[in-house]
Amino acid sequence: MLRQEINELLTKTGPGTEMGDMFRQYWIPALLSEELPENDCPQVRVKILSERMIAFRDSQGRYGLIDEFCAHRGVSLWFGRNEDNGLRCAYHGWKYDVTGQCVEVPSEASNSRFCANVKLKSYPLVKVGDILWTYMGDPAKTPPLPEYEFALVPPSQTFTSKRLQESNWLQALEGGIDSSHVSFLHSSGLQSDPLFMGAEGNKYNLGDYKPYFEVADAPGGLFIGARRNAEEDSYYWRITPWLMPSFTMVPPRGDHPMHGHFWIPIDDENCWVYTFDYQPVRDLTEAERQAMKDGYGVHSENIPGTYLPVRNKSNDYLMDREAQKRGETFSGVAGIAIQDASLQESMGPIVDRTKERLATTDAGIIKARAKLRKAALALRDEGKIPEGVDPAHHRVRSAAVVLPRNQSFIESVSDKLRAQPGVRQASV
Amino acid sequence: MPVWSGPGTAAHASSAAELRYRMNYPLAPSRGVRVVALDSGAEAVVRQVSKSGWNKARFYVAETNLNTQGIQGAPVEVVLHGFDGAVASLNDELEDVDSTIMVATSDFGSEAAATIGAACSVRGIMTAGLVLGEDTENTVSALRPYAQVLLVPADDADLEAILTAMRAK
Ligand code: FES
Ligand SMILES: [Fe+2]
Repeated sequence: MLRQEINELLTKTGPGTEMGDMFRQYWIPALLSEELPENDCPQVRVKILSERMIAFRDSQGRYGLIDEFCAHRGVSLWFGRNEDNGLRCAYHGWKYDVTGQCVEVPSEASNSRFCANVKLKSYPLVKVGDILWTYMGDPAKTPPLPEYEFALVPPSQTFTSKRLQESNWLQALEGGIDSSHVSFLHSSGLQSDPLFMGAEGNKYNLGDYKPYFEVADAPGGLFIGARRNAEEDSYYWRITPWLMPSFTMVPPRGDHPMHGHFWIPIDDENCWVYTFDYQPVRDLTEAERQAMKDGYGVHSENIPGTYLPVRNKSNDYLMDREAQKRGETFSGVAGIAIQDASLQESMGPIVDRTKERLATTDAGIIKARAKLRKAALALRDEGKIPEGVDPAHHRVRSAAVVLPRNQSFIESVSDKLRAQPGVRQASV
Repeated sequence: MPVWSGPGTAAHASSAAELRYRMNYPLAPSRGVRVVALDSGAEAVVRQVSKSGWNKARFYVAETNLNTQGIQGAPVEVVLHGFDGAVASLNDELEDVDSTIMVATSDFGSEAAATIGAACSVRGIMTAGLVLGEDTENTVSALRPYAQVLLVPADDADLEAILTAMRAK
């Protein structure tokens, strides 16, 4: 269990909350760059950390993330016109630039200084890789831009998708840290998913249902090593990095692309799951890219034109009891991402952690919560910048390796847990 | 594809409003957790955490003697010293236990860890190891074979958090 006040501290991310302030120390994904594909394209509503905003791309290609509501009478700028270097409110024509500065109030005299004094709150919006990132904290403390490897490799080597999850961000993140569920919930995916199957390591995964865990504290977060029996004298290690606040990577399989997630709070009851897949040293093949678009691997098949999964809670995730009986899926829900989402949403929007009973094997989750809480309190009480803000911390990788039984992952493969340009991932 | 949200569907069942119908009844605490300090550095931390009133956890410092009882595969015999001065045998203290947490700051306790690990393993008791301090490498290799979960490094707050998460209050 977790005490209720700690549960609240960790799950609430609106303005003025402890975890909200934590998230506001980092550059976080605000939307996919494909959502603003060209200059003067339609603006997009964005809600993150319980704040409602509008994202747009102006005539010069500048990105803006501004208060959703017009300073005049509070109309949503989603109904506005994105034209000639600004967003014009549809009601009375007030116009704003990408910084939220009002640049035109048509009803005022043409030499009036009225609009100079009107500014909507705004945040920076910057494209790195396939993502438009924002920083919602104190401008004076803006950190350097993110350096996660998936966002830095050439576009031909990387793919990112996004889906809505109707649950608090923390229970979604915890699923990314909890690697003991893979042998159950996702067991069929290891044998049939085009982005997983065929890896040497899969047989070790399926051959040992009782992994040992090592949770290693690291700058920026944790490395969680799950160790299973491999051969007589060796162990198969799957190593999952977690970076504060909400970045996780899945250990790779064979030569399949590496993947991971960002879990970004929309409000306290919903989050965006950004899912990336990339190859550090080679292009993604056409087949790999197509499989990702089709929702295989850790991606989801979304309703066209939306980021809402086809299998979602309004249709019981297309539960298929027959497929479950036939052994094609463990839970009856198809697709790894939605298997996770269905269970995490079933907990309710914010799971009541006072009712949990955790086991020793949940130590990774326990430690991650403790680190988050400690960092949030140190930020609140001492103004301490949390780990993971420093881009040097971003350069991590997951790994899947076979090691002699007497070796520890953290000592023997520490270099493989660092992103190194031009170096292939450690994966079996 | 059917889209409706009648009372039988996930959309309805997983709503915030439905959460309040989650059955409410006293939840059983853990059967029992044992926390064993394997060296004097760990002793201070375990003693500190033991003070916060855990109904279902007991706390000890391990003392090793030559194995006169001949426990199989165990190099030494372990005697457990409680912080109230009571002395107990490992065998007696592992009755009705779910998990044993070993806490260490060095590899000093590696033989005790082996004995505790073997005793837990035959009884199906889960083992965890908390490695305290900076210099963790030797401690980790000493505990690794005997702990299903290792936290490296850990601190006293982690011990509290784990005991709470397991419902040892
Ligand atoms: S078995 Fe883990 S939540 Fe039910
Ligand atoms: Fe999962």
